[in-house]
Amino acid sequence: MIDVRNVHKTFLSPHAVRALVDVTVKIEQGEVVVVIGPSGSGKSTFLRCLNHLEAADSGHILIDGIDILNPKTDINKVRAEVGMVFQSFNLFPHKTVLENVTLAQVVVRKRSKAQAFEKAMMLLKKVGIGEKANGYPDQLSGGQQQRVAIARALAMDPKIMLFDEPTSALDPEMIGEVLDVMKTLAREGMTMVVVTHEMGFAREVADRVLFMDEGAIVEEGTPEHFFKNPEHERTRLFLSQIL
Amino acid sequence: MPMGTPTSDGTPKNTGYYVWVGVFFFIVIGVAYSLYYATLKIDYVWRWYRIPQYFLFKEQVEVRAQIQGTVHRITMKEDLVLVEVKEGDIKETYPVPAKALRVREGDFIYPGDVLGAYPRWRVGILMEGLWLTLKVSLIAIIFGVIIGLFGGLARISKNPAFKWLAITYIELIRGSPLLVQIFIWYFVLGTLINTILARHGLIQIPPLWFGVAALACFAGAYVAEIVRAGIQSIHRGQTEASRSLGMTSAQSMLHVILPQALRRILPPLAGQFISLIKDSSLLGIIAIRELTKATREVVTTSLQPFELWFLCALLYLFLTFTLSMFLQYLERRQLIT
Ligand SMILES: Nc1ncnc2c1ncn2[C@@H]1O[C@H](COP(=O)(O)OP(=O)(O)OP(=O)(O)O)[C@@H](O)[C@H]1O
Ligand SMILES: [Mg+2]
Repeated sequence: MIDVRNVHKTFLSPHAVRALVDVTVKIEQGEVVVVIGPSGSGKSTFLRCLNHLEAADSGHILIDGIDILNPKTDINKVRAEVGMVFQSFNLFPHKTVLENVTLAQVVVRKRSKAQAFEKAMMLLKKVGIGEKANGYPDQLSGGQQQRVAIARALAMDPKIMLFDEPTSALDPEMIGEVLDVMKTLAREGMTMVVVTHEMGFAREVADRVLFMDEGAIVEEGTPEHFFKNPEHERTRLFLSQIL
Repeated sequence: MPMGTPTSDGTPKNTGYYVWVGVFFFIVIGVAYSLYYATLKIDYVWRWYRIPQYFLFKEQVEVRAQIQGTVHRITMKEDLVLVEVKEGDIKETYPVPAKALRVREGDFIYPGDVLGAYPRWRVGILMEGLWLTLKVSLIAIIFGVIIGLFGGLARISKNPAFKWLAITYIELIRGSPLLVQIFIWYFVLGTLINTILARHGLIQIPPLWFGVAALACFAGAYVAEIVRAGIQSIHRGQTEASRSLGMTSAQSMLHVILPQALRRILPPLAGQFISLIKDSSLLGIIAIRELTKATREVVTTSLQPFELWFLCALLYLFLTFTLSMFLQYLERRQLIT
């Protein structure tokens, strides 16, 4: 489903930072992969390279067999298949909750208003915000906003969902409701790549955990392997700091 | 602190507040009175009663016969009467309002005789000037916004041709006086264009349109910068969210960024429009008789500069205030939706 080979990414400004160093990883359909690592280790950059919000400098990234680094690829088509959920929600503040979820369906997927509406209501109910559909994002709590953001991404019927620290901006009591939605999604067989500091989630849901440090994938394995007996010294150090 | 009655902004006001309100009115009325007092000192005679004629006046219209002959027949046609004057084979018909009729059937008429006379309301020169200022400003605003929108988008474009063209345009326009730009539009571009048109046997473009073009281009440069700032003030996450859903950059701009930017753009845009209305007073120099030029003309004939220039200022204030109220209304309505 996702095939990343020898990807490098260096930011030049404000000063040269090697954000990704020779990253190679394969993610199968239906797999839930959790990415962990210290701040600045390149987790977000890795995720953002997967839907080309960030352009990798070299290497290959194949999404469902399509090489997104090939300039001839229509990246918008690929992005429609890859949902993304951001740490800061990034809902459209000038649109109602419902419009947030219907907009891209109509504009990108060319669905009729009625179809988009039906789909949106179904998804909003699924994430538990059906009754707030006509409100505006700023009338919702953080947890509710993030669930709307998930519904907005799901409305495109994506094959892959990317989550970049979806609960980091939330008050502790709201983290659970967002994780629950993500767990349901994982159970339904969605291919997911999740950057998170929620080790409980990783333990419970992940099929595989990637540990990144200084732009490289240092260690990967099942949660079992990861939390019980990590091989690398750096992984152990990181885990001891956050657990 | 003593508590007063709550006001519209919800905070209770103390007595000190009302003292300062009093100070405000005292100063305003004081300045107005001093001005009036000063005019008394210089022996100026205020003649406000002579002002309304420059807005609306009654004109006597006379219908005169062109030929000589007898009034052959008078027929009614709705509230008009048709006066038929005839001599031999020559016959002419003059429409006259029924009430204004001054001849009867059988009267003998010489050329130039009055068949009917009636008064008619005409708009005065100041009214015409006000209307022209309004018209010129509105057209320039509309084109200015269109130019500014595309200019602003070009300014933030990654395409060097668009970007550099936009920068050149904005810097050139903002860096030179509007007066000079109006001269260039009228005397240089206007002459060029009209000469070329004449050579191809096409009709000439009146000076008004070169004036409008100058104003629109001038405003466009400022609007472009306002649009650019508005777009750049929208958080990057909005673009990323829309692009991650598969929208093209144009779709993202149209559906997500511009509607949000518009909200922030409105207040500075209002300021720009107000400037533009006032700047239109410069168009007098290329023989466009807008409000300022109209006022100047009336001043030279009537010798009442005080009344007329105050009035002129008030009329501009009326235009700008109406516009600014309208934009505030738009802004408020947008905040609700
Ligand atoms: N747009 C950018 N321009 C310049 N440098 C960047 C940019 N984005 C990220 N970086 C740098 O690249 C490195 C990796 O950043 P990244 O955001 O991927 O880390 P992260 O693992 O997601 O960290 P965090 O846990 O703090 O979110 C950091 O050193 C960061 O400063
Ligand atoms: Mg990050």
